[in-house]
Amino acid sequence: MIRILTSVLVVLSLAACTTTQPDHCAVNLRGNLDSAMTTAESKLASGCEYHFNSYFNSLLTIAEANPDKDNKMLFSDHLMRVNEMGVISRRQAEGLYNRYFNVKFVSLQGDYNTCSQTCPVRTQVMSDMKAELHDKELGLMRASADAASFYRADTLLKETDLVLEATCRACTAGQVQ
Amino acid sequence: MLPRYSNSNRLSDLACALTLLVLLTVGAPDASAGVSGPVVRLFPTTVLEDIRETGQVAEEMENNLQEVINKLDMQQQLYTESLCQGADGDQGCERIAKQLGSTYLEMLDIMSDRLPDMERAVNNTRSSLEKRLRQELGQRTTPTTLQNALLGETASVKAEDRPALRGRSGVRLSDRFKQYYNLVSTNREGASKSLAVVASDIYLDMDEAAHLIAATQEEIGRAALMEQLNQSFGTITPEMAAVVGGVKEILFGESMTESPIAAPPYAIGEADFVSPLAM
Repeated sequence: MIRILTSVLVVLSLAACTTTQPDHCAVNLRGNLDSAMTTAESKLASGCEYHFNSYFNSLLTIAEANPDKDNKMLFSDHLMRVNEMGVISRRQAEGLYNRYFNVKFVSLQGDYNTCSQTCPVRTQVMSDMKAELHDKELGLMRASADAASFYRADTLLKETDLVLEATCRACTAGQVQ
Repeated sequence: MLPRYSNSNRLSDLACALTLLVLLTVGAPDASAGVSGPVVRLFPTTVLEDIRETGQVAEEMENNLQEVINKLDMQQQLYTESLCQGADGDQGCERIAKQLGSTYLEMLDIMSDRLPDMERAVNNTRSSLEKRLRQELGQRTTPTTLQNALLGETASVKAEDRPALRGRSGVRLSDRFKQYYNLVSTNREGASKSLAVVASDIYLDMDEAAHLIAATQEEIGRAALMEQLNQSFGTITPEMAAVVGGVKEILFGESMTESPIAAPPYAIGEADFVSPLAM
């Protein structure tokens, strides 16, 4: 009997030794968006920078569950603070904010003329814009309750498609001549 | 892409071609509405002249076709009310059928007469717009500024001010002109319009119309020959009826299934949040 009890104690002791430390970066963000952002930022400030993407997605999920016009402002402030903490660059902050919360498309940008930059990859650009529209649906419509801005982005996508089709056809005709 | 033709359905193909041709070209005239482009100059005087001329040619075509279509309509009604369908050998019915066929040939003649003018006007408009689009949107605009232009220009356009663009069908031509006239009036009062979208729309329409005109011109000769043969037998073919129906729809706008490109605009108010991260 004593042997059995001793064996059980030994096994339990060994099991206790092999238990790993809980991941201090793993956090179940929930509830109020503002406080969830505060939690995420404190984690990011304490060595969890590599979890930024998962935190951001969790925050979007919380916002989607609690749609509010102010959510886009909260995300803007959050991204700026995270940028100031050095977790993400300014360009990354802008990219994320605009992808989810702005009418304009980050997929349609460039410093060179449309004929040379966009027309050769027009199909890819349009495909990227369509994917971005899905993110805008989440950020603008579902998270920020801003249907008007989402519809405007949708219209912009359609108009861009039309204008690029005509412009690129004109560019090609000019090359042929 | 040009339509394919077969011996069995050449007239119905022609009907489709004519229908599309007129539908595609009527949109041209009043795009002159977009005179006041703030940055991008897509409609200089030369382009406006080309567009105006295309509109005039389209209007003349409408007027000429309307007369002959009215005649065809009356003859078709007489044929139907006289219970001529399937009445083989009836001399009265054969006479009506021949008159109808003759009027139909008259319509093809009008088309044949007007199409060269239309072809020239459409090609001029297409070329001038093509050049402006290439220069102004293709070479002098970056993707970023293009996006800004599209957003900026569309912000103040009301849905009711915007004519239905690509995909329109069955709209009475004179109504189309009225729509454009109203648009011009609105612009004079200061409201802007998405010039890039309008220019692109007209250019793509002109491009398609040019192909259709060429295809239609080729087909008219064959269609006329076929009807001349039909005259010998005094029959009304289903293809003829389809052509008449199609052109009637164009002239009288019996169906109107417009699908505007743009949704109702949304103006950003002062109270809206603008992030410092925004583009």
